[in-house]
Amino acid sequence: MSPGHPGVHLGLLAAAVGLALGPAAFTAGDAAAAELRFVDIAAPAGVTAPTWCGRPEKPHIMESNGTGLAVLDYDGDGDLDLYLVNGWRLEGNRVAERGVNRLYRNEGDGTFADVTARAGVGDDGWGSGVGVGDVDGDGAPDLMVTNFGADVLYRNRGDGTFEPLADGPGIDGWSAGAILFDADGDGDQDVYLTAYIDCTMEEVLEAQPELDWEGLKVMLGPFGLAGLGNGYFENLGGGRFRDATVEAGLADVGRYYSFGVAAVDLDADLDLDLYVANDSNPNYVYDNQGDGTFKEVGLWSGAALDAMGNAQAGMGLAAGDLDSDGLPDLLVTNFHKDVSTIYRNLGDFIFEDVTRQMALSEATYMPLSWGTTLSDLDLDGDLDVFVANGHIYPQADLAPQAGTSFRQRNLLLANEGGVFRDLSAAAGPGLEVLEASHGLAVGDLDGDGDLDLAVSNVDAPATLLRNDSPPAGAWLMVSAPAAMRVGVVAGQRRWVRHRIVGGSFLSESDPRFHFGLGHVQAIDRLTVVLAGGARSRHHGAPIGRQLVFQRH
Amino acid sequence: MKAKISVLIVAAALLALPAAAQETPQSIVTAYDALADTILSVRDAELGFVAAMLDGHLHAAKTLMSKGDVEGAAAQMALFANEGDNNIGGVRKRLLEGGHHFNADGEEQGIYEPGYVIVTREAKQALLEASKELRLAAGDVERLAAWDKFATMAKALLGGAAKTLGAG
Repeated sequence: MSPGHPGVHLGLLAAAVGLALGPAAFTAGDAAAAELRFVDIAAPAGVTAPTWCGRPEKPHIMESNGTGLAVLDYDGDGDLDLYLVNGWRLEGNRVAERGVNRLYRNEGDGTFADVTARAGVGDDGWGSGVGVGDVDGDGAPDLMVTNFGADVLYRNRGDGTFEPLADGPGIDGWSAGAILFDADGDGDQDVYLTAYIDCTMEEVLEAQPELDWEGLKVMLGPFGLAGLGNGYFENLGGGRFRDATVEAGLADVGRYYSFGVAAVDLDADLDLDLYVANDSNPNYVYDNQGDGTFKEVGLWSGAALDAMGNAQAGMGLAAGDLDSDGLPDLLVTNFHKDVSTIYRNLGDFIFEDVTRQMALSEATYMPLSWGTTLSDLDLDGDLDVFVANGHIYPQADLAPQAGTSFRQRNLLLANEGGVFRDLSAAAGPGLEVLEASHGLAVGDLDGDGDLDLAVSNVDAPATLLRNDSPPAGAWLMVSAPAAMRVGVVAGQRRWVRHRIVGGSFLSESDPRFHFGLGHVQAIDRLTVVLAGGARSRHHGAPIGRQLVFQRH
Repeated sequence: MKAKISVLIVAAALLALPAAAQETPQSIVTAYDALADTILSVRDAELGFVAAMLDGHLHAAKTLMSKGDVEGAAAQMALFANEGDNNIGGVRKRLLEGGHHFNADGEEQGIYEPGYVIVTREAKQALLEASKELRLAAGDVERLAAWDKFATMAKALLGGAAKTLGAG
């Protein structure tokens, strides 16, 4: 591995002209047939700590969710580090081990060093997820960790160490997803947390498999269990937050079972909207009204239900512009024997389910899917799909008639002209790994310009999938923390990449804007669009490197 | 608690019987008969409540259409299709968690979604499609077609509910 990308630093200058986008069409990448290859380097890289989640037999649903992870540059040295959330290991009806969250520093030589204790981020609550942001505006990424119990917001001191914020935001109970974003447009980052089931540790410890499934007894839920409400916490500055869930219009009125959450500008009005994946209930779609409040529009947007009008078992999600119309489309992962769903964004909060048209149904029907991404993994100019898979019932291994297993292979689907082709079986040893994978975070861990994948596994160490695919094109990385979206035009082709906060499953990916450009020799125009609407337009931007935009 | 009290009342009444009595006292039969009326009318009450709610969404959609508020009308159409918003969804979820399924047989046969009272799966899909078609309509002709599709189906569903209530 090498140090971070050579960076070109550019000022952010306001300009009035943006990208002119034509009619939507699913676009083909430049490669005739994609070739993808991933190798698991976790063990040789030193990322070996297991992440726990209850007992091996999983008698309570709390033990099935797994944990999230994040890739972030916590020490500002230009390369991406890794933060793994850890749960607890149970034996019988007692706690055998309180797993400690881990921070691994990227050493820049292909290895990672465990710096958890030195950095002060070794929370040992029963962890669920993690969100990354900058709540104090000092430029150093902070960490919001959700737990079964008290949540923790770690403020990055900027010297390689963190401190837990006293009286930070949190949900008392089983909180799941966390995102940090400027919800009310006041310039600082607020916190939104999802929550799943309302249960107690006593209930978890005493649980027995009660539900009949494939002739076996498995854990109960989520049907029959009470949901726990999601929470929104407004940043008041000075390390203070207040619960503003109801007045912001973000009350979890259905008490649905919420997992993955992402903030992304779905209607191109330059504020961040919210999408919440709900297990076994309609997903929430919140339109940011631009005044610190949100309006839930899911049921009539077309993005809360599948094409048949059915609520699915939402777990994780990804956003990205699949059809090059400048609007982010959505991918939501679901349960075993149900497909992951792609919602094409038609604008004005109208979505249509295009899962079948994009040939995603077959590959995603049997796995139980969690973390996911829409990323250009082969650099051919279009967005591919990776999905982390694993069942919640270990008993699946005892029920061959179910046609599934607890540990599952992950999925890698290449975008070939708007149709996804399953390349998992031919994508190298990294896709042969069999684990109950849940969390997924994406970033260029080795600084070579393509995107690598970090995957968390239940009761096992993480998988680090180094992208060794032969590049099918050029790339560009844009670091622009204040940007809502970045557009690139090269000849007749154009790309838009959006600010995406959170997403996947209880995880956080590198926030930079990554472009695969296919056989592009030069960029004609690059436009950075800020939340306030200011645009910075640049001609002749270089490719094969990182561009850094900073506010003056 | 209420159930426990009822059991105690009945038990007390039975214990007070003379030893030779071979029949349930008429007062107990009458009370149980009245309770049966109440139990059975709850089902009608639920059907009537949901029908009234859907009628409200239909009326709101019609009003908004007449005012040219296509977005608002489409939203009301979607709420009709979903038998209410997420607040109602939360209530429905609570009823399901308590074991109450209005159309248990219909759910078993795949006709109804869990907890749904009037809108079938097939109707829901068509109603949602009409709502989307209305939002995407390019002109008045398409808008009217989407509206007609929705209104016809909505009225048929409400008519069916009214018929059931009338028969009861």
